[in-house]
Order: sequence, then C-alpha cells, then structure tokens
Amino acid sequence: MADTTDTQEIEVAAGSAPARQGSGHEPDLPQGDLAYRMSHAAPNLLPGEIRAHPDPWQYVVVAVVLAVITGVEIAVSYMEGDIPDGLIVVLLLAMMVMKFILVASWFMHLRTDKPVFKRLFIVGAIAAPLLYLIVLATLHGVLAS
Amino acid sequence: MTAIEQSNAGDLVPSPAGQDPAPDPHSGHSGVPNAKLAMWLFLSSDCLFFGAFIATYLLYRDRPGQTGPTPQDVYNIPFTSVTSFILLMSSLTMVLALAAVQRGDYRRFRVWIMATALFGATFIGGQIFEFTEFTRKGLNVDTNLFGSSFFILTGIHGTHVLIGIIWLVSLWGLSMQSRISQGDSERVEIAGLYWHFVDVVWIVIFTVIYLLPK
Repeated sequence: MADTTDTQEIEVAAGSAPARQGSGHEPDLPQGDLAYRMSHAAPNLLPGEIRAHPDPWQYVVVAVVLAVITGVEIAVSYMEGDIPDGLIVVLLLAMMVMKFILVASWFMHLRTDKPVFKRLFIVGAIAAPLLYLIVLATLHGVLAS
Repeated sequence: MTAIEQSNAGDLVPSPAGQDPAPDPHSGHSGVPNAKLAMWLFLSSDCLFFGAFIATYLLYRDRPGQTGPTPQDVYNIPFTSVTSFILLMSSLTMVLALAAVQRGDYRRFRVWIMATALFGATFIGGQIFEFTEFTRKGLNVDTNLFGSSFFILTGIHGTHVLIGIIWLVSLWGLSMQSRISQGDSERVEIAGLYWHFVDVVWIVIFTVIYLLPK
C-alpha cells in the first residue's frame, strides 16, 4: 500500500517537472523501478519534495497578503457594536484560517512537499479543534451546573 | 555535480558503476527524510498540546464569580497587533534564509537567520512588557482563572519562541564557523518548520484570545 502511494507521488513529481527530466535519453531500466525513479524523476528537487520551492519574490507576495489580512482582522475587531458579533466571529475565524493555510502551504512548503507531511499535519490540525470542541461542549455544561 | 545536486539525487547515495545504489540511512524506503518526518510528527502532536491550553482558556476566562481584572480590563490590542505583525514577518525572513542557504548564498543566509532571531526576540520582549503591564494592573497567574489560563497559554507559546531563537542563533553560529553548507539545507528547513509552526499557533492565539468579541 505504502509503495503504491510512494510511486504515485513520484509519478506526480515527474509529471509536474517535465523540464527537469534531463536529456530524455533514459537507460533501459524497468520503468516501475522505485529506486530509478527516485533518483532520476526530478533531479532539482530536495528529498521529500514533489515540486521545487517557490522563488523569494513569491514569499514576499505571500507575506504582503498576510500583512493585509492581519490589518483587516484588526479593523474588523474594532467594529464590535457596529456589526453583529456573530458576523465578526465568522469573519475573524475565516481570516485566521486563511492565514494559517497560507503559512502552512507556502512557508512550510506543504504545497510542494510529499503529501505524507500534509496528511500528518492535517490529522493534528483537525483533531485538535474537534477534540477540544467536544471537551468544551461537555465541560461547559458541567461547570455551569 | 554540485552539492545541491548531490542532495537532490537524493535519497540514494552514488555507488560504483554496475552496482545498485546504496540507500541513504537518513531517508526511509519511501524517500521521505526521517528528520523531517519526525518534525512533522512532533508538530502534529503539538497541535493537540496547544489545543488543550486554548480550550482551557476558553473554558475558564468567563467563569462567573471571578475577582480581579477581566480580559477587557487588561488587553492592549494595538500593542499586541504590532508584536503579532513582527512574529508574522519573521516567517518571511525565515523562508528567505532557507532560500539563501539552498542557493549557497551564506552571507544572506546569516543576515536573514539573524533577522528572524531578532524579530523573535522583539516578540518575546513585547510579551515580557505585556506581562509586566498586566501584573501592574493586578492580574497575576494566581489572581483568577482567567489569569491562570492566560499566563500559562501565552507563557508556553513564549517558551516555544525562546527555544526557536536559541535554535536559530545556533544555526547562525554554525554558519559563522563555515559548518553550514548547501547540503545542510534540510537542517535549516527543519528549524524553519518549527519556527513557522510557532507563528501559526500565534495566528490562532491572536484571533481567538485577543480579537474575538468577549
């Protein structure tokens, strides 16, 4: 099972970076050979990557977007009393999730690394709020009574 | 073949012609670097760790019958916004440091890694100032449930930042001794993962603890 997934990931790498295939003249080796593909599919990639990391200017663009979202967040938080609290909560949580995803996918390279890292992090990032929402829902009633 | 190309070729160590390449002891069978996998496992578990303290804060901050200052009495949103912005921008300098070491530009790597550590230190300085102000206003860790849960949550996050600063400064020191090369970029990336995680946790804390209506 794991081998199948790994091979699929490596095939994605080969497909996403056709320019990095080299001369196109490949020696007569079995195409399904995992070791061959790992060493030849995308020679410009670091271990654990399926695509190359972004350029520095792309990082700067992401940082500018993060700064703008943070500014909007703070502005929205000062609208308490002018717009319904429920709307403020939804807006702030949506912007928080956007910032979280931007940092995780661009700065932590989850969009360019092998999916196994993304899966690991998603388990923690989803399990934590789910688990503690259950705890909060349960204990809030207990403590209130 | 450059150092980075050797690293790219990757998970397999070059071997004499006609022989099967030897597996890299630092990567698993799938080609996933062990150290990076371990860091992601740690970060995934740390989500649950911080989740526990955030949930505890949300549960206790509004408990009736508490004496002493409330969140509305002590929070200084403009000040915390500035320190949050500084921590956010430290993530940019961290990825620029990684990009620099990956292309072998060690001078810029040292500049960006030190800038990241200084941004982190500024954030910690801001947190110490904030804690001092809260204490001056009568809120201590043992004043009420809000104080206990607030100081423990933000204090644990601050400890994470402090560990990150020590890690970054040690990388800067190794680079000054020419002990960081392109082939070591994975070490920088793993330190970066930790640093960005500290940043995303603060993104959650800043919104949930400081900005959401009370």
